[in-house]
Amino acid sequence: MATARFHQALGTAQSHQHLQNSGSHHEFGNASLKLISKGFKVDFGLSIRGGYSSCMRKSGVIQASTSQTSVVQLVSYLPNNSSDELRRKPSEAALILIRHGESLWNEKNLFTGCVDVPLTKKGVEEAIEAGKRISNIPVDMIYTSALIRAQMTAMLAMTQHRRKKVPIILHNENEQAREWSRIFSEDTKKQSIPVVTAWQLNERMYGELQGLNKQETADRFGKEKVHEWRRSYDIPPPNGESLEMCAERAVAYFKDHIEPQLLSGKNVMIAAHGNSLRSIIMYLDKLTSQEVINLELSTGIPMLYIFKGGKFIRRGSPAGPTEAGVYAYTRSLALYRQRLDDMLH
Amino acid sequence: MAAGTLHRSIRTIQLHGCSNDSASTMDYGSSSLKLISKGFTVDVKFLSNSSRSFSHCKTHVFHAISSHAPVIDPTLSTSHVNANINQNTSIESSLILIRHGESMWNERNLFTGSVDVPLTKRGIEEAIEAGKRISSIPVNMIYTSALIRAQMTAMLAMTQHRQKKIPIIMHDESIQAKEWTQIFSEETIQQSIPVITAWQLNERMYGKLQGLNKEETVVRYGKEKVHEWRRSFDSPPPHGESLEMCSQRAVAFFKENIELQLQNGRNIVVAAHGNSLRSIIMYLEKLTSQEVTNLELSTGVPLLYIYKHGVFLKRGSPVGPTEYGVYAYTRV
Repeated sequence: MATARFHQALGTAQSHQHLQNSGSHHEFGNASLKLISKGFKVDFGLSIRGGYSSCMRKSGVIQASTSQTSVVQLVSYLPNNSSDELRRKPSEAALILIRHGESLWNEKNLFTGCVDVPLTKKGVEEAIEAGKRISNIPVDMIYTSALIRAQMTAMLAMTQHRRKKVPIILHNENEQAREWSRIFSEDTKKQSIPVVTAWQLNERMYGELQGLNKQETADRFGKEKVHEWRRSYDIPPPNGESLEMCAERAVAYFKDHIEPQLLSGKNVMIAAHGNSLRSIIMYLDKLTSQEVINLELSTGIPMLYIFKGGKFIRRGSPAGPTEAGVYAYTRSLALYRQRLDDMLH
Repeated sequence: MAAGTLHRSIRTIQLHGCSNDSASTMDYGSSSLKLISKGFTVDVKFLSNSSRSFSHCKTHVFHAISSHAPVIDPTLSTSHVNANINQNTSIESSLILIRHGESMWNERNLFTGSVDVPLTKRGIEEAIEAGKRISSIPVNMIYTSALIRAQMTAMLAMTQHRQKKIPIIMHDESIQAKEWTQIFSEETIQQSIPVITAWQLNERMYGKLQGLNKEETVVRYGKEKVHEWRRSFDSPPPHGESLEMCSQRAVAFFKENIELQLQNGRNIVVAAHGNSLRSIIMYLEKLTSQEVTNLELSTGVPLLYIYKHGVFLKRGSPVGPTEYGVYAYTRV
């Protein structure tokens, strides 16, 4: 039965291929064999290419997530594993996107871009409020940018989460950082939510406009040019990124790292920035470049997507705990919420 | 006139030299010579603390804060900074130490060490409270560890600060990181407080105890061993650091980076952890290893030191805004 499931998984992977490059299929095949023979206990992202190699990297590095109780523990896919520990593969996963709230430069009306500016008091409150709205939605992994305002937003939001698992930021900058952040208790690891920080999720880099106020910039470069940089799809400010360039690196990261997690049934939260999130939404909702430049994301309001059957279904914003609204978005989410209620009462 | 002033500065350096150990006198001497011979355009600080009139600091390494008035780019080699000794010997600078508040593993009674665990709601409140207590004390630079609980403590505390300058975290992990975080407005740079993150200020690394709860550990290793690792000066847990090892890297970082900034009249906040801060306090107050193992730092309560004439004067904890207490600790 395990074998059959594995083949089913392969089958699923293959059916996804037409959405991705065909080159990845070959790698996928090899990589899966490698994994089985080494018998690693790795979170097996049943997917494609980049997702895979990153899983391989992660196996040595991400100690905290090796025993995520996801159904895709590699050990259960070994063909001769007769004691069937397989749970049914989850058919859907939740994806939460949160744009961080007010930063100290937003308050001063300065172009921020990739400068690492922290949140204001208001930004802190927005993050906590966002946390309340997602307190009943399962989170297995968190991705943030390399900037403190997104990281703080994620950590502040998770203080409100009812499940009480503990986010742990993974450190990969060098060997010492990895060594020093190792966890030596299985139980503790199971109660952890790995947090991955990635520069690819950073805000669009604004080049020579970073630190300038909007008036100063209009004076220096002219109102029209500035409008063009801010609102066009493919025109970058001097030494900066266009929205298109930002989208390239953000969506590539999403496809390579985050989507495989969703495919394996992990519920993911992404805390990032206006432009990196718009880029991802452009991919999720299949927007045109015209549509994406008109897309405005509210700050601090989480957006929920359900990933099911390889598709992203938009589910809007979860209501706050004191607002009348949708109780849960899918049956699985309702069951999860029920379990939380039982656990905590 | 510049030469005369520079010579006076060198003499000042030598004067200060006698209050430190002889090794540092040599450092000062040789590095100031280096500066002169290389002819760098470095701001030599002629005046006192209050008139921060730096013009340019033009090394290519210097990105985000190239002309920030009171700030020196930390990526500049420290020898350059030595020449910026002011001649006015009544300069003092303030040093604030803040230990972060409750983390999610503190709450669960797990050994944390260098695992990067965030703050609880309570830890957040402690940070904000700490911020209120230091809201009237000048801050020119912030140092934190590489762990989010200390960084968040610093950022949350600074949301309460009256000064309204803006902390900006420095990134130098790669060339791209440096380029991407460049600021292009002089004015904005002057309104910034650089924040340096350093693993040397991390909590003591607890090796194989990280993630274990305190009971589990006693069962696994025995009560006495655990007590020894937790409370001795030089006995490390398996694959971990002893307090002595933690001190070595924390105090070295402090001397090479933070103390230099203080000597230049910069007011510094250090947001870090129990053991890294104890190590620094051991150095500031010249404690013995016996005394330091008995030192307990309250979480979220800032400790103020005044640095003057090369000496650290302990000034206790600034009071909260609603408490009666000392209005200010020194004339400045």
